[in-house]
Amino acid sequence: MTHACRVAEFFNGSVEGARTLIELEGVRASLAGHTVLEEISFSLDEKMFLGVVGPNGAGKTTLLRVVLGLVKPDGGTVRVMGMTPGELKHELHHIGYMSQQVVFDPVFPVSVFDVVMMGRTCCIGTLRFPTKADREAVGEGIRMVGLEGLERRPIGELSGGEQKRAFLARALCRETHILLLDEPTAGLDLPAQQQFMELLVRLKEQLGLSVVFVSHDVNVLARFADEMVCINRTMHLHGKPQEVLGSEKLKEAYRCEFDFLVGVGGQGQGAGEDG
Amino acid sequence: MLAYGFGQRALVGGLIIAVTCSLISFFVIVRRLAFVGMGISHAAFGGVSIGIVAGVDPILAAGGFCVLVAGGIGWLSRKGRLHEDTVIGILFASAMAFGVLLVSLAHAYNLDLMSYLFGSILALSWTDVIVAAVLSALVISFLVLFFKELLFFVFDEETATASGVPVRFVYYGLLIAMAVTIVVSIKLVGIILVSALLVIPGATGLQLTRNYRGVIVISLIAAVTSVVAGLFLSWGFDIASGATIVLVLFAEFMLSVALSPRRPYMARLIGRGKADS
Repeated sequence: MTHACRVAEFFNGSVEGARTLIELEGVRASLAGHTVLEEISFSLDEKMFLGVVGPNGAGKTTLLRVVLGLVKPDGGTVRVMGMTPGELKHELHHIGYMSQQVVFDPVFPVSVFDVVMMGRTCCIGTLRFPTKADREAVGEGIRMVGLEGLERRPIGELSGGEQKRAFLARALCRETHILLLDEPTAGLDLPAQQQFMELLVRLKEQLGLSVVFVSHDVNVLARFADEMVCINRTMHLHGKPQEVLGSEKLKEAYRCEFDFLVGVGGQGQGAGEDG
Repeated sequence: MLAYGFGQRALVGGLIIAVTCSLISFFVIVRRLAFVGMGISHAAFGGVSIGIVAGVDPILAAGGFCVLVAGGIGWLSRKGRLHEDTVIGILFASAMAFGVLLVSLAHAYNLDLMSYLFGSILALSWTDVIVAAVLSALVISFLVLFFKELLFFVFDEETATASGVPVRFVYYGLLIAMAVTIVVSIKLVGIILVSALLVIPGATGLQLTRNYRGVIVISLIAAVTSVVAGLFLSWGFDIASGATIVLVLFAEFMLSVALSPRRPYMARLIGRGKADS
């Protein structure tokens, strides 16, 4: 059976209840001989928003790279849409990814349209050129994130918030089922962060996406996530945002005072919206 | 000049090389590989020396050597956790020193060696032109067929990797394409000046536009016109052809700097033009 058939069967097959898109069981991973992740277990059901929090150096980015199959785990099992990481490498066009920060030359000669078209690379295929359907998909992606009219603008001339939206469009303009976002709001001011999060939640609902959102900002995730995982090399917590916010284990994971971590407003927001 | 066979060969060979260099120049500029290009081209001296001493075609020997050096730069900088520029600094000087040692041991300092250092386009044979055409076709095919993967890779390597782009293949492919282009260009301008052909056309394009298609087109025009003008000027004034080509290219670059829309006076001029229309 081809991998494409397996994805189709995964989404069209008769499954009772919600499908589990990502399953990690007892995952261990290391980088350059240093253990970065230990005994990580969690799952992501279809159309859920999972927030992954943890301090700097907790292994959050590595966790996403394990899911993408870019870091081979030392132990445990990883299944994404029912496939192993080895099988997934042919199906990466079903996953949209946004990295922490795209460092590029401000005079890099590509437009918003060109950047979003990069997202179609894995759909177009090797030795093939973009077709009308690809250009339409790119146009639709740009429209979804509200950047219509800026298609021809060089990417370096956009504001930070607009650039993030362009990168979100790039992650969406393929056959995306899962969005993996690695601190996508880093470097944005508060209004731009809020705008981005509201856009993300709207698109998640509209497109039926499943989202894994990595951040060290507990407050923001508590407000928008359906479930949260807190890691610091190993699993500290997994639950509803209000459960995570109310837990002493959060303080242990971050090794700092609770009030400083979530703030009064943040705690209230999280508990109020999700509880 | 075109009445003579060597003039025709120089023009055809020069144009082939100009087209190849202008295309690869775009990636050299946006990926900041100018120093890599300099490193590979200077390392070619080691290959040429092996060829001269061993009695093998120096360009063939330089080709093999440059591909090895390009692969070495890529491998060491990725695996050895050394920065690209550090690796180049090490390999570039070592390969050149190796070449100097080899020719001094074999007492092979001669006119032939000088022609590889400074170019001898008027000495191109039809075989040289055919070899240049075949190698250039290979380089251009790689750049065209993998253009979208290359563009994604040079813009955002991490996301390209996460999207299933074969980044290792694309990276080494680009370095090897550079090495082949350098070897093909050695007869045109020589080892010392070849990096100018890899850098200046793309840099000229980037001064004038922020659209990659425009950068490539301007790069192509700059490289082709510099080769044609350089050849005719060097013929007319009886001066070194490689150096003349590079200086014409430099003049074109300076013109592009003066006319860049990023210059305040040019921005005002363009703004006024738009308002008038």
